[in-house]
Amino acid sequence: MARWSVNVPTWTPVAVADTTNFTDAGHMSFQGGSSTQRINVLEVYMGGQAGASSPSIMLLARDSTVGVTLSVGRFAALDPATAALAAPPVAFNTATTKPQRSATLSLLNLSFNAFGGIVRWVYSPGEEVGMLGNTASFGEMSLSAFTGGTPGLLGSHFIVEPF
Amino acid sequence: MQTKRSHEGYLLIDNRNSPGVTKEFVRSTGRHAPVVGEGAVLEANTITCAHCQRGVILNPQRSHRREWCSYCDHYLCDNCGLIKKIDGKCRNLNQLFDKLQEQLASGERTEHY
Repeated sequence: MARWSVNVPTWTPVAVADTTNFTDAGHMSFQGGSSTQRINVLEVYMGGQAGASSPSIMLLARDSTVGVTLSVGRFAALDPATAALAAPPVAFNTATTKPQRSATLSLLNLSFNAFGGIVRWVYSPGEEVGMLGNTASFGEMSLSAFTGGTPGLLGSHFIVEPF
Repeated sequence: MQTKRSHEGYLLIDNRNSPGVTKEFVRSTGRHAPVVGEGAVLEANTITCAHCQRGVILNPQRSHRREWCSYCDHYLCDNCGLIKKIDGKCRNLNQLFDKLQEQLASGERTEHY
């Protein structure tokens, strides 16, 4: 299947505790396009854009409450010849019902300094993190800031492969 | 033939133009994360636990063996490795996803749980 990029060019994470509503535009989330859709996450990248030191505790995690009424974000195929998906996954950072990070299903801790720091995590083929459907807790994943630190401006992307 | 090395992913933390994070900061978070200070670069191999799908950064200094599930032929994190030692069961998450997906598609199940 084809690879797609979910990306937010510039955003400032808002630190929240687990199982607490995310703040609009303060997280980067990604939800499956249908109840049976499988998605693999192949890569996670963050590039710091802050103008002053901003140590940030960034977590890639599954969401125990999924967002509802999502405002659709950037989701682009890497190959221009890629066919459109019947049920495209939804990248979003704004929702009416706010998503919440699971307290137990955090997958990566990518603490870094958003003042010029770069983090890139690449999964080996066959070892990717999977998602299933569009409901909690397997159907949505987020990149967000945990409490503590002083999150700063950054740009980020996931490379994903929907099936 | 697949080697164990072929299961390894890659992590880059580049602080060549950044103050990075301090040991004290990482400790204060109460979470496990690599400490990469000012001007430093960390490149490391990683694995994904096949049972919980958490990412694990491989420590080249580690002397005891990594946990491995011989049923699904994948690396495990230490927590899942311990659970498997206790009950001997393979809980491969992708295999669970396969099963759930089939049940959802056939209407046998309407929710994940």
